[in-house]
Amino acid sequence: MEYSKQDLKDLYDGKLPWEKVKEIMSRPKDDDRFDKYVEILQERVKWPERILLPIGEHLYIVEKGGERIVKCDCGHEFGDYRRNWKLSALIFARDTREKLEEIYPGVRCPDPNFCEVREYCCPGCASLLKVESVPVGYPIIFDFLPDIDAFYRDWLGRPLSNEKEFKDVSYGVTREWGRQHDRTCR
Amino acid sequence: MAKRTKRKGIGDGGRTLKQMLEDNRRLLRETGCYAGITEPHVLRDDPVKAELFQWRLLSSLISGRQTARMISGSPYVREMAELCMGLYTPEGDNVLQSTGIQVHVRLMGDNVTWMIGNNYEEDVGINEGDLFVANDPVIAGVHSVDVYDIMPIFWEDGLVAWVITVIHEMDCGGVSPGCMPVTAVERGADGLKFCCEKMGTDDKIRRDFEIKIEISLDLAAHFLLDRKSAVASNIRVREEVKNIIREYGVDYFKKATRELIEEERRNQIARIKQRTVPGRYRDVVPLELYMARVPVSWLPAKKDVLRLIPMQMDILPEGRLVLDFDGAGEWGWHSMNVTPKGLWGGLSICIVQALSYDGRGNLGSLLPCEIKTPTVDSILNPSQIKKLATNYPWAPKLDIFSLWCGTLGTAFYMRGFREEVFNCVSSSGWQLAGYDQFGNKRPMQAGGIGNFGGGATGVGDGVDTGAWMATPETDLGNWEVWELFVPQLFMSRILEPYSVGYGRYRSGVAIPSMDMLHRFSEGIGSAAIGCGHDRILPNIGLFGGYPGGKRNTFLVRYHNFEDMIAKRLPLIHEIGNPREFKNQKYADVIYFDYTVGAVEVRDKDLTVADNGSAGGLGDPIERDPALQKADLDTGLTNAEISRNVYCIEARYDEKAKEWKIDEGATKKLREAKRKERLSRGVPVEVWWQTSRQRVLKKNMDPLLIEMYHSSMKLSQKFTQEFKDFWSLPDDFAL
Repeated sequence: MEYSKQDLKDLYDGKLPWEKVKEIMSRPKDDDRFDKYVEILQERVKWPERILLPIGEHLYIVEKGGERIVKCDCGHEFGDYRRNWKLSALIFARDTREKLEEIYPGVRCPDPNFCEVREYCCPGCASLLKVESVPVGYPIIFDFLPDIDAFYRDWLGRPLSNEKEFKDVSYGVTREWGRQHDRTCR
Repeated sequence: MAKRTKRKGIGDGGRTLKQMLEDNRRLLRETGCYAGITEPHVLRDDPVKAELFQWRLLSSLISGRQTARMISGSPYVREMAELCMGLYTPEGDNVLQSTGIQVHVRLMGDNVTWMIGNNYEEDVGINEGDLFVANDPVIAGVHSVDVYDIMPIFWEDGLVAWVITVIHEMDCGGVSPGCMPVTAVERGADGLKFCCEKMGTDDKIRRDFEIKIEISLDLAAHFLLDRKSAVASNIRVREEVKNIIREYGVDYFKKATRELIEEERRNQIARIKQRTVPGRYRDVVPLELYMARVPVSWLPAKKDVLRLIPMQMDILPEGRLVLDFDGAGEWGWHSMNVTPKGLWGGLSICIVQALSYDGRGNLGSLLPCEIKTPTVDSILNPSQIKKLATNYPWAPKLDIFSLWCGTLGTAFYMRGFREEVFNCVSSSGWQLAGYDQFGNKRPMQAGGIGNFGGGATGVGDGVDTGAWMATPETDLGNWEVWELFVPQLFMSRILEPYSVGYGRYRSGVAIPSMDMLHRFSEGIGSAAIGCGHDRILPNIGLFGGYPGGKRNTFLVRYHNFEDMIAKRLPLIHEIGNPREFKNQKYADVIYFDYTVGAVEVRDKDLTVADNGSAGGLGDPIERDPALQKADLDTGLTNAEISRNVYCIEARYDEKAKEWKIDEGATKKLREAKRKERLSRGVPVEVWWQTSRQRVLKKNMDPLLIEMYHSSMKLSQKFTQEFKDFWSLPDDFAL
């Protein structure tokens, strides 16, 4: 089972008629999907770095100078993919009724004493990358940490060079922020 | 003393079922393959024969399910079809499931393994024509209104399979309102519990069992007719299985049914490897229980409680999928605790919709999955579960596994299968207790609950009003039939634009249920399922999409209903502007920001279950204006939402009778929104510093502090990660 790149482009752009989309949903899945997907996305970005894994509407893990970083399609870079990219984003926290009601008016509005709706934007292009609704005080969620070496090595059968340890390094960032902040405040 | 001879078992080759079960599990452990089938060949040797075999079995289950629908008198069965049938191996392992509510793929079989483990073969006896009934979630199940009818299938003198039917009951004796009492705290309040009880022999329900039901239940006739419909369906399937055995041979039947499980296990691993990406996925579900103002029978239950349920899914390089709920807060005296086995129900129903949707889903679909045993005394594993009511685990479970669908959808998206992305939310509803329009005292709940919009996919908007995670077939049937069962009039079903999870692709649109109590003399009401009182929105938006709006439960009481009718004033039939709904001119709107436990309701009151929808996907200001125009033209959205959320300027052309998009103004609005985001947004580090101070100073609602405390009490890992994220001192405590 395989589809043309044009069919997949139309699928991703919402241009395929429902009958065709349904057919793609119902049939056995196409084994070459990932490669064609990445090819399509690579053709659409303006920068040269190789896309290793798309991780959102605008974000990709790319290979750059022996490192693997998260990059927006506008070119903005968020750093090591094992560090939650949200830590390098702009945030707008809807933490008051006024801010929440811009999106959720009247009876649709959650309680700002309990709920915080956090919006993470790209500092480069201001695209809204993620909306996170959590209880007040809940740590920023690291939605997805791929085991990218296992993916390429074990599942795609073409290992990547420069294997990285599969490890969340985000807490190093926040611990460092804490140290700096406490020094400044002292 | 006479020498005791070892009793011949009813299992394969004279083994007991217990021996078969032990052998089966040992072989799985030793080989990693179901029943030790390392080289499946029976099905592969003759694929056409195998295909015919499988579909003959599946057809018998589907037609058996339809048989039950024709016999039953319950609209849950006839209209909504909340039932399912499954075929199981002698060890209790699912081979195939009919269409229908496939929550119970594993749970039905877990009842059989429990019976085997408790030596039913010798102590209770398992014979041809025996009828067993079960509904105790402590053994295996979701909640007690899901009743399992279990029937062994013998061939010659050996047991070769089980057929099981599950039916959602309108009444199993729980303390109403409704059949799934929210305020139930203690086990007894759930109603009758059947612990794999033998309710009949020789294909006939025992008279003493019928008497117990007739005395115990308000809706005894419906309950017993459901049993009869299940028994009839089971007999139908049993006899068809025997026909299949006659045709294919018993040896082929035994081997092929086991290979169906092993082949599905292998297929599932292949699907996981083909469609996802290995790694760690995370999310969190907050469970909100506001019971302080609710009448309850047990004082420790009378309090407001928040609980965190963090969720981590690890997709491992070997193609296994592991769920871990470490950090889940403590159990409590309420009906919303979950059992570890109950979690499998949530996973089962989702996995047949997300991965194993080709009709071949069975235990093999779940074998590559692991749910780590939740911490003892967490809300997902209370040690006192035998004392607790277990009628409402759906509330947390729907939210957990709706999010899980979205999490798995993230994996599909990254792999390029954007068309498979979706998520769900829980929903709300109303249950009643009192006298119906015919003067009969009884619990009441209508079926129009799953009427919210499903999450956006990666290639289009979500399904409107049809995203009920608990069953793949969302169909409440004919509403007029429900009006016969509940003293209420169907007032309206109008799509609610503000329910939507906005995004480049939006979620589906929800329909609030608005029903007027009619010829309802006296009684009480309560919420159902998710209970519609959330102060915290589920974290269900994907890649820049927003979660749907807050879920609400309202009770509307007209000031003078008769006067309104006399003056021909319009009755309330839509939410309209959500800013104004609470301020009705001719009625009081009771707006619950707590769990609607048991409130007095009166004739002509309007019960409103105002569901929010699931999540949108992508940045709303990237939404194609053509999609928005279509929504405007069909009334699924309005100009305010278009402008404020999507930054699309539109105006209605009276002459052309359609909406027109102002492309120039839209472009300006979107450019302005990007500028606004850059000016309003702050680097996360800046926000983090302020928020950290709030955490350090414990400047949060006491319920939140207690919620974090509860999770920290049970999980060192959660505590450490919380401290690491906020860079808190080691001795910090909440």
